[in-house]
Amino acid sequence: MWQVYFKELTELVRDKKTMFFVILLPILVFPVLFGIMGLVVANVAKQAEAEEHRYVIINADKAPELAEALFYHKNFKKVESDLTDPDALKQAIRDDQFDLAILIDGDFSADAGNLSQSQWTVIYNMSSQLDMIDKYFNELLRDYSKKLQLAKLESLGVSAEKVDALLQPVKLEKVNTAESREDLGEKIGGLIAYILIPLCLAGCSYPAIDIGAGEKERGTLETLLICPISRTSIVLGKFLTVLTTGLATALITVTSFGGWGYVIGSLMGVDIVAKTMSTLGMADLLLILMMLIPLSAIFASLLLSLSIYARSFKEAQNYIGPLSMIVFMPLIVALMPGVELTWSMAMLPVANVALAIKELIKGTMEPGMLMAIFGSTVVIAAALLAFCVSWFQKEKVLFR
Amino acid sequence: MIKIDALAKSFAISRGQKLSDSEKQDVRYSKEAFHSVRNVSFDCGSGEVLGLLGPNGAGKTTTLRILSTALQPDSGSVLIEGVDVLKHPVQARKKIGFLSSSTGLYGRLTAYENIAYFGRLHGMSEAALKQRIDELFTLLNMHDFANRKADAMSTGMKQKTAIARAVVHSPKVVILDEPTTGLDIMTTQTVLDFIRSLKQQGTPVIFSTHHLDEVASLCDRVVVIDKGISAFSDNFDAFKALSADGDLRQSFMTVINATANNREHN
Repeated sequence: MWQVYFKELTELVRDKKTMFFVILLPILVFPVLFGIMGLVVANVAKQAEAEEHRYVIINADKAPELAEALFYHKNFKKVESDLTDPDALKQAIRDDQFDLAILIDGDFSADAGNLSQSQWTVIYNMSSQLDMIDKYFNELLRDYSKKLQLAKLESLGVSAEKVDALLQPVKLEKVNTAESREDLGEKIGGLIAYILIPLCLAGCSYPAIDIGAGEKERGTLETLLICPISRTSIVLGKFLTVLTTGLATALITVTSFGGWGYVIGSLMGVDIVAKTMSTLGMADLLLILMMLIPLSAIFASLLLSLSIYARSFKEAQNYIGPLSMIVFMPLIVALMPGVELTWSMAMLPVANVALAIKELIKGTMEPGMLMAIFGSTVVIAAALLAFCVSWFQKEKVLFR
Repeated sequence: MIKIDALAKSFAISRGQKLSDSEKQDVRYSKEAFHSVRNVSFDCGSGEVLGLLGPNGAGKTTTLRILSTALQPDSGSVLIEGVDVLKHPVQARKKIGFLSSSTGLYGRLTAYENIAYFGRLHGMSEAALKQRIDELFTLLNMHDFANRKADAMSTGMKQKTAIARAVVHSPKVVILDEPTTGLDIMTTQTVLDFIRSLKQQGTPVIFSTHHLDEVASLCDRVVVIDKGISAFSDNFDAFKALSADGDLRQSFMTVINATANNREHN
């Protein structure tokens, strides 16, 4: 068995295609792609924040303080316009003469004695994911309103100390029982499972095709079968090879993502990766790995069975395509918002491991349930491996 | 040395599989199964070369696969040096060397590694393996490309490597399934020389072929398989004597026509 295992590994290591998929892709290509994506997004956001918006203000003399604050805001630039009609202003914005029109009510008075509500209008293009105009203008308006509020209350005889009691009779202090880790785990735990599990599958796929169908296509299978070792040993050797590459892909990827994330994170001042790393203990990482081993074993047995049945490389690829879809289904179920790890979910293969990984990252995994999931996954893996071994004994599979 | 008695092997036909007209005429097809090999018997002594002849699809490859333990027959027996191949397949495999024209090599392994892999699977010790491979490399003149990967080899180099791989464990009998089909003249010569050297060492060789000149120059015994039955099994001279002028082609046709006539009479 080990002879087969080491020979298959040697062969795979020498194969440029495998090396590309298992090592180069996760270490260099993926992080670079994700890095570029992140930079682009960050740049767009920065640009939006720095953008200058041209505005027109009608009846500025009614609210001079606000007009002044607007004038000195670094993201607003005043332009002159004779228009006052809302429809005409709208058209002017569409024609890109300016970006924002603020219509102050002509009857408005900033006087403390004025106790009627006033309605103003702002006109601008709101079809933007990052509505910076709204954000900046509201900040200014809030400050301005607050000043007016205080002045009006004072004119009604409310002293400054009583203002808080009047405006906000109850002040709430929130105490969060969730540790920051739990919060973070909820947000990124699912994502990590979503990256890890398909990677295990992808890492298993190519070698499985190569040492199953590939061996048939090259005509080496027959020679292998008449060697004085049992067919069980041959299957187990091949199975271990596939399992190894699956886990190796997942491990290499996680390490490289962690490493690159740390580098990029520290360069750009985002410390989410460092935070995640520090909250996850060694024991948790080992438990995650422990969950991935039987799951990869399931993938390896399934893929090897399909691959050994196929007559050629191409046929094997055709079988394995739909299998990937089937694996993704429970994975998606597990990542839907609101799906929790319950006992019934714990019985759903793939989904249970995804949820367990999430819980492990959150640090809220129940040991009993973890063992149950591990146990059930091991049982399924063993059953599939047994199937794969008996499948390999059949003449109609080997000599199609 | 090698004794094969009344071998039979059938393959199930999957439901819904349509048989072609020619297949329907073949007596070996029934509703459920294709009886590829129905009754094959022959024997081969020490130092003898046995040529297995027969039309395409006659059951030659199936017979050789049963001999090499890759397939299990439905009935019949195979004895190699007194070991029942069917009852003790793992033990028997150590005595068999097998090679076919379509046998591939692991492209990313070198000639040495390809051969060594199978030597190890046959349970050879590293020291014995090294010595044996060195011996084979000298015999087949392979030292020049011992460390070249199989992907980068010429057909001749590949076939030499495949031969060395088949006999690395010093088998007691060598089985070759159409070893010269599709090979160029030089490479074919390598294979034929190899069979001759085995014969000199007293190792029996069983090989299937379509080339009657190979039979004439090498074989001590001839077996003709037709429609899954060994229709002729005797020494080479008896085969040659089947035709008036000693033309082997004529001899072969005589055997095939005789079985066809028998069927009609039945």
